[in-house]
Amino acid sequence: MPARTPLEQLYDEHAGALFAFLLNLTRAEADARDVLQEVFIKLAREPRRLAGIREERAFLMRLAHNAAVDLMRRREVRDRTREGFAAELTPFAPTDDPDEQLFRLELAAALGELPAEQRAVVHLKLWEGLTFEEIAAVLGLPPNTAASRYRYGLDKLRGRLRPLYEEIK
Amino acid sequence: MNEFEQRLRQVPVKPLPPEWRAEILAAAGAVQPAPARPALQERLAVGWRSLFWPHPQAWAGLAAAWVVIALLHLSQRDEVPARSANSAPPSPETLIELRQQQQMLVELLDLRPGGDIDRPKKSGPHTQLMRALMG
Repeated sequence: MPARTPLEQLYDEHAGALFAFLLNLTRAEADARDVLQEVFIKLAREPRRLAGIREERAFLMRLAHNAAVDLMRRREVRDRTREGFAAELTPFAPTDDPDEQLFRLELAAALGELPAEQRAVVHLKLWEGLTFEEIAAVLGLPPNTAASRYRYGLDKLRGRLRPLYEEIK
Repeated sequence: MNEFEQRLRQVPVKPLPPEWRAEILAAAGAVQPAPARPALQERLAVGWRSLFWPHPQAWAGLAAAWVVIALLHLSQRDEVPARSANSAPPSPETLIELRQQQQMLVELLDLRPGGDIDRPKKSGPHTQLMRALMG
């Protein structure tokens, strides 16, 4: 088996997490793919971008977030109805358990109702396990703003999912 | 992290479609790396050379002219205090004229409304009392 190039190594280590983040952010698989490809093309064009970077994952998340925000801005202008479709898409893996599947669909719908900036913070906190300082660095925010966005987002999710959560707990 | 957050965290995210790897890496591999930008020092040197190289003799002549102008300027500046030091003392007529002008100026100042620059101050009641006691 031939040795992996640095770009392949980066892809294998981080593309899964980037995809999940992008899918949650853009709510469209095609958009997540476009942004993911854009990130890797940027890295191929300017390999020096990674020189001296200590936290590769955080750096890549930041690149992905910026590219996704650009894409969403363009889409927002072009297609205002996209959010309607967005709630339909689930960024979570399917399961055979009907109760759990219902919970995941509800969670996906609840996430879809959050503003994109809250969704990004909630994703990075819950599914990436980042601290507020790390989230702030990725999203270019003050840590307090990241924390408050997380609290607002989580409160909305709790409000929306509580009945179902209590039922299947 | 509370129970609700832990519960959400356990929900697995959708896996990355495996077929994308080849496609995305191929697209990235087709991109040529951008040429490295030269360092600031090197860019300055290049800019300097491109500015001076076409007509080096003209630039050298201009620089020499500036050096001559600067030297002349410096030498003239050094002469000014020397000249004033070497000049003769003013004549008695000049001194008289200067004194007259000075006197005229004092009179003018004294005549101006409220012009009481050198006028002695009116002594206050406290001073008058002191004078009476002393005197």
